[in-house]
Amino acid sequence: MNEKILEIMNTVLDNRTKEKLTSITTEMHLRNDIGFDSLDLAELTVRIEAEYDIDIFEDGIVNTVGEILKKLESK
Amino acid sequence: MNIFLKDIDNEKLVTWDYLIDDINNTSIYNPYCKSADYYTVFKHIILSFLIDEEIILLDSDFTESELINLTGRSEYTEFSKPFEKCKISNLSNQRELIEKLSNSSKNWKITLFTSGTTGIPKKVSHDFKSITRFVKVSERNEKSIWGFAYNPTHMAGIQVFFQALLNGNSIIRLFGLDTKDIYTEITNNGITHISATPTFYRLLLPYDELFPSIERITSGGEKFNKKTFNQLNEIFPNAKITNVYASTEAGTLFASQNDIFSVRPEYEHLIHIENNELLIHRSLMGSPETNFDEWYNTGDVIEIVSKKPLKFRFVNRKSEMINVGGYKVNPLEVEEAILALTGIKNVRVYSKPNSVLGNIICCEVVTNSNQITESSIRTFLQSKIQEFKIPRIIRFVDELSTTRTGKLKRN
Repeated sequence: MNEKILEIMNTVLDNRTKEKLTSITTEMHLRNDIGFDSLDLAELTVRIEAEYDIDIFEDGIVNTVGEILKKLESK
Repeated sequence: MNIFLKDIDNEKLVTWDYLIDDINNTSIYNPYCKSADYYTVFKHIILSFLIDEEIILLDSDFTESELINLTGRSEYTEFSKPFEKCKISNLSNQRELIEKLSNSSKNWKITLFTSGTTGIPKKVSHDFKSITRFVKVSERNEKSIWGFAYNPTHMAGIQVFFQALLNGNSIIRLFGLDTKDIYTEITNNGITHISATPTFYRLLLPYDELFPSIERITSGGEKFNKKTFNQLNEIFPNAKITNVYASTEAGTLFASQNDIFSVRPEYEHLIHIENNELLIHRSLMGSPETNFDEWYNTGDVIEIVSKKPLKFRFVNRKSEMINVGGYKVNPLEVEEAILALTGIKNVRVYSKPNSVLGNIICCEVVTNSNQITESSIRTFLQSKIQEFKIPRIIRFVDELSTTRTGKLKRN
């Protein structure tokens, strides 16, 4: 699943010509470490929803990669 | 130290004394103001006011082609000119500056641009009276410290600016900062008031600390849900939370404690409801380039809760404008920009509900060239329109989906 999330995140980063990631760790902060802004987070949720059928921000904003993975695992 | 503006993103800490010195030492004015530096924008607004001339505010991220569309040019240096120094006799202190500002100028107006409903962004001007209609100057407000959470060249930002300015308050920039920094700024500066879009608040949540300094939270620009409301109540235990209804054309019009808006009795005769759409009287509007009829159609569909006194709830929007995190995007403007790219045969821009921004812009395109890729469309658009208007999801299709009447379907 990590691979797929990395790929999705890189698509979002690439779309804004931001630097791509080589790997992700659970501690990474979506905004402070990866550099997503609200437009990116909005796109991220749509792309993850298309893949996993789950809206990761439905119950409020999640902050880290680990929190996303947890949401997807608990599906 | 009496702070006028703190903007950590631009590394600025400006006191009221510095502002006054700076104004006293300025002798050149340019009516066009396009800057990413909040202090420059604020100083320009004050200056325009003191010399009683128009100021035209441009978003700092407008692209060259947007500027040409809006103003007929993209370079404004030639408009810089010296002004008669006697127009602003040397100011000695904050009190004198505020007094001068409160004696409204005759010719002064502030002009900004809003995405029009017809595809072409339109120009709207406000005079002092319409821009400050909801500004409250009082002793109680003297101690307010404002968290500034809007774009300074947009209507909502200008209104917060005037509220803070005329009360001699401090303005602490929060807009565009990381969540962590926003919370640090609230604590370090003892911010008491924040006005922002629901998206701004949503991005602050969830959080497990409390911020007791906040007395007032105002939200507007898009629908505010119960969940966000409850979470804000927990983080800001001493804050009163208010919703406002405002538009670039009219400024702030109504406020509410929940989703039901009540109209002040003195405004009741200036509000009209036709086929459930909210109409507002011309006298409440700024002066747009093209004249309004006596009543202005807001495009907002409302549901009346009580007739006397008039109370209502917003249901949805009649127009096709898409609200992206409080920014209004006109799908026609985006479609036009995409169609300008060679190889695009047809395009449909639509919105999808989104848990972060309220709505997200998507599009379907039909191409007749295999050179067109998602990234080539994006790169092209980055030079044409502001970032928040660019579709985040682009789908390639053989033909566009249309409604039964043959109209392009937006939702």
